[in-house]
Amino acid sequence: MAQAKSMAAILEFLSKAELLKQGAEARVYRSNFLGRPTIVKERFRKQYRHPLLDEKLTHRRTVQEVRSVLRCRRAGISVPVVYFVDYTSHSIFLEEIEGSSTVRDHIASAPRSASCEGLEPLAERVGQVLAKMHDEDVIHGDLTTSNMLLRCGPEDGESELFLIDFGLSYISALPEDKGVDLYVLEKAFLSTHPNTEALFERLLKSYAVSSKKSAAVIKKLDEVRLRGRKRSMVG
Amino acid sequence: MHLTHELELFPGHKVTQMLFRDVKNATELRQCAVEGKINGALINPTMLVNPFQVLVAANKAVNSQTNGKMKTRSLYSEIIFNLSPTNNISEAFKRFGCSDGDDSVLVVLVHNNDESQLLADITARVSGRQVPVEEVSSLTDHAKIKKLYKVTPEEEKSGTLLDAVVCRMAAKDVM
Repeated sequence: MAQAKSMAAILEFLSKAELLKQGAEARVYRSNFLGRPTIVKERFRKQYRHPLLDEKLTHRRTVQEVRSVLRCRRAGISVPVVYFVDYTSHSIFLEEIEGSSTVRDHIASAPRSASCEGLEPLAERVGQVLAKMHDEDVIHGDLTTSNMLLRCGPEDGESELFLIDFGLSYISALPEDKGVDLYVLEKAFLSTHPNTEALFERLLKSYAVSSKKSAAVIKKLDEVRLRGRKRSMVG
Repeated sequence: MHLTHELELFPGHKVTQMLFRDVKNATELRQCAVEGKINGALINPTMLVNPFQVLVAANKAVNSQTNGKMKTRSLYSEIIFNLSPTNNISEAFKRFGCSDGDDSVLVVLVHNNDESQLLADITARVSGRQVPVEEVSSLTDHAKIKKLYKVTPEEEKSGTLLDAVVCRMAAKDVM
């Protein structure tokens, strides 16, 4: 079957690449592609799913990811460049952001005492970037500090903040969806980084100032906070 | 002078690029290409930012060919089609293919092994001066490219023109 051929070629290539992570949905590899350091995100088959459903779902997730990345790029948000997409193996070949660390590692490794002072500018920048993304009506869907990369710039230059992993992203103008997006980040943020409530507040303030449609979104965020587990919706 | 890169995904497929300036027989070359007499893709280098762009287009073309899913009739026309941000094939040829009266041309070859004969064939056919492929960036028409690919001002601030172009090429079939 002709269709299996390119998939075989890619799987062969990936077998020699360096496996960085295996998530629930995809494997992430590192290699060189067309002479450039590249990250390959391969969405693998889920055997427990009905094959037709699996194919549709995996294809849709791949397509959504690529669309969101391009949409963010058009708005001037730093995201990796997409080099190549193969729809038979559902693999996305992206630019590797070299010399970077996740925001999660950055916050975790910041010294305890100065933790909140040094990180405030970072929180503000994250707020700004998310505001830009939501103004473009892109919902990330999986906002965590592990999905944000900081690439150290030159000595006196500013480091660049990248957003990655748009696998669960979609396009929506609804404040509800944006509010939920921020809520996901809040939950992830506060559980990963203890005692950083003030830092997250800073992030939200920066978001509110930078986004043109923030009022409705923050209002929805407050509403969403009242829902959920162990929360009484009375009153 | 010329640049050759073996596609990592398709070992055995080598992509060679050759750049010529002061070309006098563009009309004749284009005719030969249309008739299939030249074994290569003839590209208008003013529409290119960097040789990397050509590799991206060639890789995608070989991938489509391997799957039997090319949108055009040959590998070389597929490479030219992949460079274009739109799905209109004739528009792609018009904009990215070499036209009569062009004074520069970039030739792309996809081959297996011994390239010296192929290179000699091409050099013999082109009535022009071969220059290092890297020089293509001095021929780039930035304004035309920005307009054609609809590159936004915000995008230009946060990334390079090459980033913008390559991203659109890679995402073309889903946008």
